[in-house]
Amino acid sequence: MIHFTLETVVYAGAIGLVAIGALGLVLCNHLFRMLLALGIAESGANLLLILTGFRPDATAPIIGYGPAGASMVDPLPQVLVLTAIVIGVGVQAMAVSMLVRVYRAYGTLEMSELRRRMELDISAAAGIRAPSSAQSPAGERPLPPVPAYRPASARVQPRES
Amino acid sequence: MNQILLPVVLPLLAAFLMQPLAQVSRLAARALGPLVLVLSALITARIWLGFGEAPFTVAIGGFAPPLGIVFYADHLALLFALTVPLFTLLFWPGLGDQDSDPGHCARRDALVLLLVAAATGLALSGDLFNIYIFYELAAVASFGLASLTGTPRALVATLRYLLISAFGSVLSLVGISFLYMATGTLNLAQLAQLAPQTLQGPLGLASFALMLIGFGVKAELFPLNTWVPDVYATAPARVAALLAGLVSKLAVLVVVRLLVLVFQQPEASQLLLSLGVLGVLTGELAAWRARDFARMIAFSSIGQLGIVFIAFSIDGDTGLLAGIAVALHHLIVKSALFGLAARWNGSLEALTGAARRSPLAAGLFVLFALSLIGVPPLPGFWAKILVLVGLAQGGSTLQLFALVSVLLVTAVEASYLFRVAVRLYGQSDSPPAPPARWDLGAATLLGAALIGVTLATAPVADHLRNVARQAGNAALYVDTVFPKTVAQKD
Repeated sequence: MIHFTLETVVYAGAIGLVAIGALGLVLCNHLFRMLLALGIAESGANLLLILTGFRPDATAPIIGYGPAGASMVDPLPQVLVLTAIVIGVGVQAMAVSMLVRVYRAYGTLEMSELRRRMELDISAAAGIRAPSSAQSPAGERPLPPVPAYRPASARVQPRES
Repeated sequence: MNQILLPVVLPLLAAFLMQPLAQVSRLAARALGPLVLVLSALITARIWLGFGEAPFTVAIGGFAPPLGIVFYADHLALLFALTVPLFTLLFWPGLGDQDSDPGHCARRDALVLLLVAAATGLALSGDLFNIYIFYELAAVASFGLASLTGTPRALVATLRYLLISAFGSVLSLVGISFLYMATGTLNLAQLAQLAPQTLQGPLGLASFALMLIGFGVKAELFPLNTWVPDVYATAPARVAALLAGLVSKLAVLVVVRLLVLVFQQPEASQLLLSLGVLGVLTGELAAWRARDFARMIAFSSIGQLGIVFIAFSIDGDTGLLAGIAVALHHLIVKSALFGLAARWNGSLEALTGAARRSPLAAGLFVLFALSLIGVPPLPGFWAKILVLVGLAQGGSTLQLFALVSVLLVTAVEASYLFRVAVRLYGQSDSPPAPPARWDLGAATLLGAALIGVTLATAPVADHLRNVARQAGNAALYVDTVFPKTVAQKD
């Protein structure tokens, strides 16, 4: 039986955040939602790292903060998380700026559509035929000519009155 | 010996000085990058030539490990620290460049210098979180470089790379937290001391798997390599050469250090072996189906790195030697091929008759293709035979399956590489443009290096055996970082 202390709950929460972020990254189609999921996953990972330094009934690791001789939580993971937060912010800022440029160029942020357009552009730049995709299973080969449609009323001969 | 820090610090400093300098003097800004790289190469070469047999460490800021961060320099670290500035000079994106926008040039050069600083730091660092930070620095620099052309397809490819890479680094942070929970330290030497007691269970294996996913994104590990063909097809060719050739090897080096020092359990090697086999099979079969030159060699790069992982999963010094040999061979050959791909970036049909316009480039391609396939006496043959012999000596089912895969994949490689080679020497009315002078020069230099290694196989093999023996010696690592005082020695 798992002992449901506050610590266990927060551990489960941190791993849950990482899982939510991972699921969102994999399942979402919209690029901005994928970025948000990434942010959630990063928060979860940072929380998990801080938790590794947790000691019960300890104060913040600042000299002179708590009563003299009190135990402090481990400061090393907190330093690591500061760095990780900054790295995460930098990467997200770069991603958002690229996202804006992609939207201006392609007009959409749906990942499936973007991948299809990127594939078409790469093939066009290389001068090869685009590979088949879900939208065009036969590739970009020309379809056979379809005979012109004439509605039924035009096909019936007018009665001789 | 503190000078070993300069190849990390000088490019960082130069990268941040690049923008202000570009406002003052365009010529100085264009010259600063290559100048700093030449200086780094000279410093590292001097240390390498004066290197005895014992590795040495440098405690950053005077803080002794395990509280402080330590840089560890042995043969392997110095070898890679030397190749970083040399290869970046060879494939400097500003060479022969007619780009007249000084701001763009300054930004590009700053990004390359950041990549160089991060790569050198990855080779030398002895602290796990320091490695993580250098890895992230290399990742951000490579995002900027991959999207350098600014075309929408490059941006989408870079965004996919960014998402996969950032997700990998989240997972590696989780792995680092597990490691810290189990051992209470992040210094590689102290982890090596504590690993036999604390990391043998499922927590250790989970931590290794998570960090493998994190550092495997750059190392093109299956299944995290879906970003590779698109990024290498849309990035400028020299940037692709640097990323595929140089940065991937340094990511592999990080994984190897973790494997040798911290995670010595057989499950870790088996995980690496299975992912390597999957990478080899998927990469080479995809290369066989590719229809344009850049993506063909990108997929081939995935396959070759799969062979590198298979090699490093073999126990003992034979595995390390085989892995280092394949990695160095791939570094030389793949960078040169990407250099040639700068002008030959169309479809494979468009390459018909290229030998007429540029016989040297076509000859170099055939040389590199033969070495990749593994035709004796070229170095590729020796590297592959080391892998195959190591796998055969291992003898477990998975290793024999890996042996069969590598042989199968060699046949596939021969098929698609010879297809291109035959096309190069075909007849055509409109052959493609010959590669630019700088790219051809770099490829010729690397081809000459390949032939040089072929002629001097025995001394090179002895030196690499030395490198592998020193790199695999975890006890030596721990003793160098934490030297036993006279009183402790019995």
